[in-house]
Amino acid sequence: MESLHPRVRLLWVGRTAVTGLVLAGLLVLAGRFVGLLSLPLELVAAGWVALVGLGAVHAVFAHRIWRFSLDDDALFLVRGVVTRTDTSVPYVRVQHVDTTRGPVERSVGLASVVVYTAGTRGADITIPGLRPERATELRERLRDLAGESEATDAV
Amino acid sequence: MRRLDPRSAALSVARGTAQGAIFGLVIGTTLAGTLGLPAWVVPLLAPGGAVVAGGLALARYYRFRYEIAGDTLRVESGVFARQSREIPLGRIQNVDTTQGALNRVLGLAVVAFETAGGSATEATLDAVAPSEADRLRRIVQRYGEDAEQDTEPTDDGVVEGPDEGVTAAETDAVASERGAESAEQLFAFGYRDLLTYALVSVRPAALVFLLVGLPLGIDVALGVLRFNLGLLGSDASVAVTLLEAIGPPRLVALAALSLVQVTIAALAVSVVLTLVEYYDFTLVREGDDLRYERGLVRRYSGTIPLSKVQTVTVRENVLMRRFGFATLVVETAGYSGGNQGSTQGVAVPLAPRETVYDLARDIEPFEDVSVRRPPKRARRRYAARFAIVATALTGVAYALDTRLLSSGYWWLALGLFALVPPAAHLRWRHRGYALTENVFVARSGFWQRTTSVVPYYRIQTVFVGRSPFQRRRRLATLTADTASTASLLGGSANAHDIDEDTASDLRDTLRERLYQDLFRRRADAASTDE
Repeated sequence: MESLHPRVRLLWVGRTAVTGLVLAGLLVLAGRFVGLLSLPLELVAAGWVALVGLGAVHAVFAHRIWRFSLDDDALFLVRGVVTRTDTSVPYVRVQHVDTTRGPVERSVGLASVVVYTAGTRGADITIPGLRPERATELRERLRDLAGESEATDAV
Repeated sequence: MRRLDPRSAALSVARGTAQGAIFGLVIGTTLAGTLGLPAWVVPLLAPGGAVVAGGLALARYYRFRYEIAGDTLRVESGVFARQSREIPLGRIQNVDTTQGALNRVLGLAVVAFETAGGSATEATLDAVAPSEADRLRRIVQRYGEDAEQDTEPTDDGVVEGPDEGVTAAETDAVASERGAESAEQLFAFGYRDLLTYALVSVRPAALVFLLVGLPLGIDVALGVLRFNLGLLGSDASVAVTLLEAIGPPRLVALAALSLVQVTIAALAVSVVLTLVEYYDFTLVREGDDLRYERGLVRRYSGTIPLSKVQTVTVRENVLMRRFGFATLVVETAGYSGGNQGSTQGVAVPLAPRETVYDLARDIEPFEDVSVRRPPKRARRRYAARFAIVATALTGVAYALDTRLLSSGYWWLALGLFALVPPAAHLRWRHRGYALTENVFVARSGFWQRTTSVVPYYRIQTVFVGRSPFQRRRRLATLTADTASTASLLGGSANAHDIDEDTASDLRDTLRERLYQDLFRRRADAASTDE
């Protein structure tokens, strides 16, 4: 079982911080201009800090739990802090594989692999926090595995 | 390339003209002042809008062309942004025909082609003559059959243009001959069956309809309310001060009475909706396709190719179970996000359970299923959960009583706890899963029991989820995801609250059987090739 790059925690916390900042901004704006509920700025800041703290704890646990492996016939993932989910994606079912690098991901030097299936619930499965080389390698490996297990039936 | 029926052009031009005129009129009357338009423009807005919108509709009609050439359906459309689309016939999942009331009078039909993937219907022909709709459907159907037999799809007769009328007629003859020889009626609704179905199938949507329609029937509602008040011996005038005017016991009685009336009204709406939707339902098997027709005002008909069936679902609600009936739903990967709600894919609305299971086996062979229930500790979990709900409701009742009603009867809500054990037991009893030689079966739900039958070779991904509460009791929920659209509506095959270890074993088993099944099917396909 392979775990994610430790720096992914930074990425997740960063994401929480940004989302929190947007939320806080909206709250402040709503208070100032619409007069819906005007919270003191200190309270908003404290809320933001609390959110980021929670996010950090979540990120640490999420990283500790996140595992994936390329088994004989399926890609296997374990994730989820609150609700733990094991997912197995049979290689036959892989439709296509992407590597993506968003701006935030690029800034910490990481990449993600997204695996698409024709299913409805798990139509796209993302493996975040990979080194770019590892992401490319994984994508190519998955593509090969999917090609090898090519099946007759199409959807 | 063919055009749509000219009568549909007349219809859409008329519709466009009317809409444009109304739009222009609205703009002219309401916005003229705010926009500061000169006075002479205002009377021109309505005719102008009519001409523009009508012209656009006409242009759209002339730009819209379609044809089936070789093994693709080609559609060209768009006035400003031009679009041309090719759909391989082999990829078409469903062909649906709809005839609205107006279209029926004019003798037109709307044909929709659905493929897997995509967020909307891939091609809609609005509208063509019913005979043309039939022809298109038969070509797609025939292509599917040919592909199944692995013979090359013959081009003669499938390639058609308006100038090849003779070939078209020939194809029609061949197709209808084929249809006639293999069409076999599987199921039809008589008046009595339809009425039974309308009575036993309860639609939660009816309540929504009722609430939405409330503003229109507000006088009726108030009248009923007044009648209720009179019945309870109070001053028959509806006012806001009413709450104080009549005592708490009467208020509770009023609420109960109104609730009963609303329920009866919702049931009536539900029955009417079902009657309108399923009037004259027939299910026919034509070769490898199922074909249904239904509807009182709006006629629906569609084909479900058996080779593309993803899951087969048997639904039974409490009433149906009591009388031994069931509903059969057949899901393909077509349709996008439940655009037809609960009615999509319904192959048999209501039939005796054995008949339904026989049909389901006909579609996807599987043996008798004996469903394995979740472990007993799952039942304890449900009991705990229901107990929490009962506690919360009692709390609400207490708060309401002390603050508002002060009747002192809040402890009646404690009676809810008596319901906890039977509720937990029923939920537990109606959940379970089974593995047979060919399929994975998952069942759940007491009020509406859903039994999903998933062939192994249709499984896409397998999830095992454990919430914190499930982890406490070493339980897990296994989900077998398919490309079927039912899972979007929460109808995916879930084995709820099974033992953690069983779940991981099951996951491995499903994965294994998926490959075995796929390889077997591939070998079969290869051997028929030779």
